[in-house]
Amino acid sequence: MALWSARAVGFPPPLYDLRARRRGPSNERPFRTSKLRRRPPSNSRLMSLTQPKSPPPSRHDARSGRIGYAAAFGMVLASTAVAELLNRLLQTNRLSPVFLAAVLITAVTFGSGPAYFAALLAFGIYNFYLVEPRFTLGEFTAEDILLLTIFLAVAMLTGRLAGRVRDQAASAQARARTTQALFEASREFSGLNEEEFIRSGLLKHVSEVAGAPAALWRDGACRTSPEGAAVPSAVREALAGATAAGSIAGWRVRPLMVDQPELGNLAWRETGARTRGEDPLVDVLVDVGAAAIIRARLGAAEAEVRAMAETERLRNALLSSISHDLRTPLASILASVSSLREFGDRFEPAVTEDLLSTIQEEAERLNQFVANLLHMTRLEGGGLGVTAVRTDVREVAGRVVDRLRRRVGRRSLIIAQDRLDVRADPILLEQALGNVVENAIRFTPDGSTIELDWRRDGERVLLEIADDGPGVPPEDLCRIFEKFYRSPALSANLQGTGLGLSIVRGLMESMDGGAEARAREGGGLIVSLHLPAGDET
Amino acid sequence: MSEGHLLLVDDEAQLVRALTPALTAAGYDVATAGTGAEALTRLAREPSDVVLLDLGLPDMDGKEVISRIREWSEIPILVLSARDLEEEKIAALDLGADDFVNKPFGVGELLARIRAAQRGRERRLLGSASFKAGDLEVNFASRRTFIQGEEIRLTPREYDLVRTLARNPGRVITHKQIIASVWGSTATVDAQFVRVLVAQVRQKLEEEPSAPKIILTEPGVGYRLAADD
Repeated sequence: MALWSARAVGFPPPLYDLRARRRGPSNERPFRTSKLRRRPPSNSRLMSLTQPKSPPPSRHDARSGRIGYAAAFGMVLASTAVAELLNRLLQTNRLSPVFLAAVLITAVTFGSGPAYFAALLAFGIYNFYLVEPRFTLGEFTAEDILLLTIFLAVAMLTGRLAGRVRDQAASAQARARTTQALFEASREFSGLNEEEFIRSGLLKHVSEVAGAPAALWRDGACRTSPEGAAVPSAVREALAGATAAGSIAGWRVRPLMVDQPELGNLAWRETGARTRGEDPLVDVLVDVGAAAIIRARLGAAEAEVRAMAETERLRNALLSSISHDLRTPLASILASVSSLREFGDRFEPAVTEDLLSTIQEEAERLNQFVANLLHMTRLEGGGLGVTAVRTDVREVAGRVVDRLRRRVGRRSLIIAQDRLDVRADPILLEQALGNVVENAIRFTPDGSTIELDWRRDGERVLLEIADDGPGVPPEDLCRIFEKFYRSPALSANLQGTGLGLSIVRGLMESMDGGAEARAREGGGLIVSLHLPAGDET
Repeated sequence: MSEGHLLLVDDEAQLVRALTPALTAAGYDVATAGTGAEALTRLAREPSDVVLLDLGLPDMDGKEVISRIREWSEIPILVLSARDLEEEKIAALDLGADDFVNKPFGVGELLARIRAAQRGRERRLLGSASFKAGDLEVNFASRRTFIQGEEIRLTPREYDLVRTLARNPGRVITHKQIIASVWGSTATVDAQFVRVLVAQVRQKLEEEPSAPKIILTEPGVGYRLAADD
């Protein structure tokens, strides 16, 4: 019986209730098992950090402890049976190797604790059961002491050896888990460009990895993870003013980045063994998070600079083309007016009439241009009022052609004559169609043919404007409706604002229609506009 | 009375339509061309006395047209250009254009510029040993300069500037052209030197140096000598 009590003294049973650990990170988690204590300190720290995410090693130890002692007991019983068998068969009681074998196996399989237990138990049983006088715990001879020493030595050496192998495996596993945790966090951060998301992610990860509440302070606002976790007022104060890492009230407080106080400060409660030193993983995690925030900031700043440069470029393009488009009709108007003032009395009536109509047409062109600008602004601002009614395409096309007739010059303009109704805002459709035809006139040389055709296509109506001009390079076909797209092949003066077709698409889409462009076989460009047919309700 | 043949090169039909009556009324025989190639063909085929050239042509760069004309002809070329395309204008003048008119313009201004360019060309072709316009008189043979008959002492460099402008009356001379003429084509001086030199000369020639009447500034482009009167 003395042996049984010896077990109770020398081999403490598993210390903890495993279920308690699952209650949450705020629970003080015991992780100082005999095995853990034997590990090099750095290992034990790393191991403990990953505990909340993975089965704690001590849990494995505890279970194997209980099982180990039971198995040791069984092993010794089995060896007793084998010894009894051999005793009967071989008529010998020199069977200590059998018990030694039991101790050895126990040590290899279950480590030192159960091995010591097996050694003592085996020695007791051996002495009690095989040594004459049998079934008594007789006087211990020198031989017995030697045997006990051998048993214990085997148990100790083998158990320690096996234990070390297992410890190494476990710590390698722990390191892998640590690396994995860091990797996951940094991967999560690298996928985020939004500073605030990274900050929340970091807070969550720190709380998880530290296995304790964490708090983040920035710009006077304090957030915690898990939400609503209590943060001591001393920690709050420290958070608000921390410029360097430090510990207060059992919490560790540090700025996300030492020389960048505006990034914010972070605190987490230090648990158990980690109060003594720093917490490498959590610190590394915070560094990774801070680096990700810096990266996101740089990215945002860069994007802003790029956007500003692009805005500037667009504005310059717009201004230069607006000034060109305004100045061209103005030049004609001013030339006509000054001609009339200077030479009016000498001009034939027909010449005067021609100059006056130039003034009128060019003024209308200016007005058209201003309308385009307004439509662009409204399309962008969403303030375009669309009144879609049943509209005859032929009528709209007729108005467009009338307006542009003088500009057609020596090009032929062929227009379909079929009546066809669409559902559209007649004013906006005229503007869109006018822009496309004007575009065709602008980009085709004298002698070109521009055809305007429309047809029913199911429940839609298709309007096609085809020219046999230089066309558009195939790779640019999809870009000609982009704002400020201008053909790189044309001289600056020929270029328009690069707004005309973009407004066309905007207007068509506002009327539940669309605009596309394709190359025409044999050269040239076809712009097709589609709209709902007019008999649709 | 015919002022001569004028070739108007512009692809903007409305502007051509607006300008033609006034140019005709002013005494020019007006021919028009919508492209650079057409302009070059017309010039080669029929004699012209002055060219009005828009820089933005559909088929080729207006500057290209200028240098092609200048390969064989000294005909006055006036560039029609937008005010904000300073570099275009300077490049055109460097290539040999005589003057420019900013769009939009009134025909009065245009006709004055055409006349000045034509007169300047006549004077250049005359190759006279002296220049006289208004108060200013420059004797190229003796390298002496007079204002209202009174000799003005100029440094060699100042005289070179006056001579450069006086040899090209009515024509806009760019900073670059002045530098090449006064300092030499390999000189590394910038437009600021030209400004300083012009200011010195104005001190000596102009009655009111802050409101010059003889050496006129074309902002951002260069200078011209007033050739009228």
